[in-house]
Amino acid sequence: MQIRIRETDFTLLAEKALWRPDTAQLIIADIHLGKASHFRKAGISIPADSVLEDMRRLDHLMKTQQPKEVILLGDLFHSSYNREWHLFEAFLESFPDVRFILIKGNHDILKKHRYELPNFSVTDTLEDEQFLYSHEPLEHATKFVFSGHVHPGVTLSGKGRQHLSLPCFHVSSNQAVLPAFGKLTGLYILDRNERDSYYLVYNGMIRELR
Amino acid sequence: MSLAKTWFTQKGWKPHKFQKETWAAIKAGKSGLLNAPTGFGKTFAIWFGVIQHFHDHPKPERHQLHCLYISPLRALSKEIFLATNRVSRDLGLPYSVELRTGDSSMKDRTRQKKDKHQALITTPESMHLMLATKGYKEQFSNLEFVIIDEWHELLGSKRGVQIELALAHLKAMKPDLKVWGISATIGNMEQAKEILLGSVSGHTEIIKANLEKKITINTVLPDEIEKFPWGGHLGLKLLPKLVPIIEESRSTLLFTNMRSQAETWYQQLLEQVPDLAGRIALHHSSIDFETRKWVEEQLHSGDLKIVVCTSSLDLGVDFRPVDTIIQVGSAKGVARFIQRAGRSGHSPGEQSRIYFVPTNSLEIMEGSALKDAVKHQLIESRIPYVRSFDVLIQFMVTLGVSEGFASENLYREIKTTHAFQSVTPDEWQWCLDFITRGGQSLGAYDEFHKVVLEDGLYKVTSRSIAARHRMNIGTIVGTSMMNVKVLGGKNLGTIEEAFISRLRPGNVFWFAGRNLALHSVKEMTAIVRASKEKNGIIPSWLGGKMPLSSQLSASIRKALTHYKEGGKPDAELKKLKPLFDLQQEVSHLPGNDELLIEKLKTREGYHLFIYPFDGRLVHEGMATILSYRIGLLTPVTFSISMNDYGFELLSDQDINIEDLIDNNLFSDEFVYEDAVRSINSSQMAQRRFRDIASIAGLVFTGYPGQEKKTRHLQASSQLFFKVFEDNEENNLLLLQAYDEVINFELEISRQQAAFRRIGTQRIVVTYPTKPTPFCFAIMVARFREVYSNEPIEVRVEKLLKQIEKK
Repeated sequence: MQIRIRETDFTLLAEKALWRPDTAQLIIADIHLGKASHFRKAGISIPADSVLEDMRRLDHLMKTQQPKEVILLGDLFHSSYNREWHLFEAFLESFPDVRFILIKGNHDILKKHRYELPNFSVTDTLEDEQFLYSHEPLEHATKFVFSGHVHPGVTLSGKGRQHLSLPCFHVSSNQAVLPAFGKLTGLYILDRNERDSYYLVYNGMIRELR
Repeated sequence: MSLAKTWFTQKGWKPHKFQKETWAAIKAGKSGLLNAPTGFGKTFAIWFGVIQHFHDHPKPERHQLHCLYISPLRALSKEIFLATNRVSRDLGLPYSVELRTGDSSMKDRTRQKKDKHQALITTPESMHLMLATKGYKEQFSNLEFVIIDEWHELLGSKRGVQIELALAHLKAMKPDLKVWGISATIGNMEQAKEILLGSVSGHTEIIKANLEKKITINTVLPDEIEKFPWGGHLGLKLLPKLVPIIEESRSTLLFTNMRSQAETWYQQLLEQVPDLAGRIALHHSSIDFETRKWVEEQLHSGDLKIVVCTSSLDLGVDFRPVDTIIQVGSAKGVARFIQRAGRSGHSPGEQSRIYFVPTNSLEIMEGSALKDAVKHQLIESRIPYVRSFDVLIQFMVTLGVSEGFASENLYREIKTTHAFQSVTPDEWQWCLDFITRGGQSLGAYDEFHKVVLEDGLYKVTSRSIAARHRMNIGTIVGTSMMNVKVLGGKNLGTIEEAFISRLRPGNVFWFAGRNLALHSVKEMTAIVRASKEKNGIIPSWLGGKMPLSSQLSASIRKALTHYKEGGKPDAELKKLKPLFDLQQEVSHLPGNDELLIEKLKTREGYHLFIYPFDGRLVHEGMATILSYRIGLLTPVTFSISMNDYGFELLSDQDINIEDLIDNNLFSDEFVYEDAVRSINSSQMAQRRFRDIASIAGLVFTGYPGQEKKTRHLQASSQLFFKVFEDNEENNLLLLQAYDEVINFELEISRQQAAFRRIGTQRIVVTYPTKPTPFCFAIMVARFREVYSNEPIEVRVEKLLKQIEKK
């Protein structure tokens, strides 16, 4: 789905990622890699296969979009180090020509040396003339802000007392919050307002709520 | 002379027959089940048998643990602790008793490990905690007796399964262990004995106390039924009628079914009857332990006129001054009603006296039904849990934390229990895999770590995993709770974190019988100060809604039929006449040979109301099965609501119920199969899984001071449910959730009986134009189930169309 922000085209992807064609940037929030392993290491038996699914989706996106740069809007890795990190290292190696930039999130607590990889860098925020990239949503006087952290979702209610909660992109006049990419993540249900736009993601589809 | 005789003579008391019988049975080396109500000296019936045995069998290692007394309630444990210690002191017997519950301090526990005592009074959870402590084998090496108090309470819960496992393990260590249970009367007494003593060697017996008390039952009726609400559950409308009852009684216990309801009643009583101030108290399980203890002491001394309480006062020692019980709202079961009634009238020559206060008009029928059910002693059975893999997995890790276990030995032990007798070697292996490899083969990146096999023993080697497991032992799953503390003052009790998180500092809420303003939140404590503002919000605690038992449901159908067939109505049914007349006028009043269905269209959508009068549990299952059957013909989404009399299927499309009835919608064939198939499309299994995930150690609620460390390890049970469904559909915990739905939510045997009965009934469909007396309460219920077999994109499109039209 195409949207236009500050005279720039963006594509909202049903894979829960954002694509900026003019700069070939792929923007992804809250992958929470390593979550399953973190649990398993502590003796909590969550099936480890769920991990590979996120990696597969990531790989698929790289191949279909062919980005030059990937901006990770924080919470890339769920907690302290575990071996799942090497899956991500291997993934980086397979795309040596792509730059990966991590905007540090509250979950990104790995030791510095883990991030010392050739095509990878870490920063607190990132900005260009028009846009600012942050982990947590924030207001900026002039720039439009892209963020994650919230894991936004909306609940639809209708006749017959039906309710359905779905992840969404939340876009307002000066901010956009991306849905969480990782499978092992929850939803935070937003209170909807008239001014903002909400783009629902379900079953590999994306659709605006008007 | 026996110790009992000496002591009873000393006190100038005469033992009951059942007490003498129990002493004789214990002397003969038997195990057994004592069937006696609360009070009446049931503890002494067992206790003197135990200490007599100690007295008669002098052994060199007399300083080791001789008797373990397990009671479900901490408050009860305390009473038993005081009573038994007094006996030792009176008799000068070197038999010291200790108390160990969740309240015991670390200091006490360490001292208890060192100090030698002969008996320990504890709870199922603390018992398992002991099994999670190194050296327990040594500690229990001279154990002779295990006493399980209030076995009827434990039996129908997973705590009962915990007891079964602990007993099997102790009996493997001490084959001649003697086990005694104490139980109030339940429908399946013989089965209760079998489950408790199943693997005990030697003779066992049931000893009956036969001391049931006479009960007087009165229903408090509204003056004008026309002005009495059709729905609702608070019952405040009848409060003025209770004032004279309370005034004329010496001391009254007023039972409500929910904590929030107790808070409201306390508040309203104080407001409407101001001179109760100082003579009224509040007692429920979220109120601070010390405060509750104080209330109980005041009840004993007769200083309180009335205590508003919940099930927190169902069990325990008797309060002699209490001569009146008030039950607000349905008691849901005959046994619970009798139990509560029995909390009154313990002075010599007194009877139990209970007033039933209906909260809505149809509930008045229950007063009539209760009298009949009590007269015929239609007492419910307790259905035991079986194949609770969550409890089994917890237990395996518990033993892993302390001394480790050998697979073959433990498998042999658990096979002797009722709960796990059907576990196959493959299932056992699955459990072992689950705790050692996280349920799958370890991949290259996997660092799963919980239980490891070392020299033939399964053990937990990580200290942090062991510590977290100990914190998590137990089967009572709560939501995350916060302490409520007065600024610079005392603890008031606990409230759900979710409630506090919705408040901002300065917001006023009503808790523990007072208006409080939130001051600040510090870790897991909400700091409050007193507020003069009126009308604070009352917190709601999550809690299961109790279903009406099949015994009480049958009695209600009987009362309705009696009325319909022109039998002589009692006061309750007479009062209901105008309401029944109205129901007949706008719809229909069904008799025993009829099933009423009401069809109604409102702004909300298309409603179908169906009234089997079978209790909320059966209705929930039946609604799901019918949804499934309707969904076979056309994809559909239903919002389901139910109460104890009927249920509603609410949809956004018109359902042609007449055709469906002709097409065998209510067929009693394939009820089980349809139930199994319908579960997938409902949320029942997912909800069941919440407890299972927590007991099995997948999900844990934070504990004070530990939040930061464990925050990254927290995930919701729904997430686990989804991931297991996607990646590991043969997960035994997942299958257990489905089994529990079939056995406890759908109560399949009751379900089949209900469908068979409907098969013999005439179906009457009416088309009222506005809500009827019967449907009103169901229609306004907020808590709802969802059934859907429509594809998600269809549901999204439909919902969006409605939202976007506006």
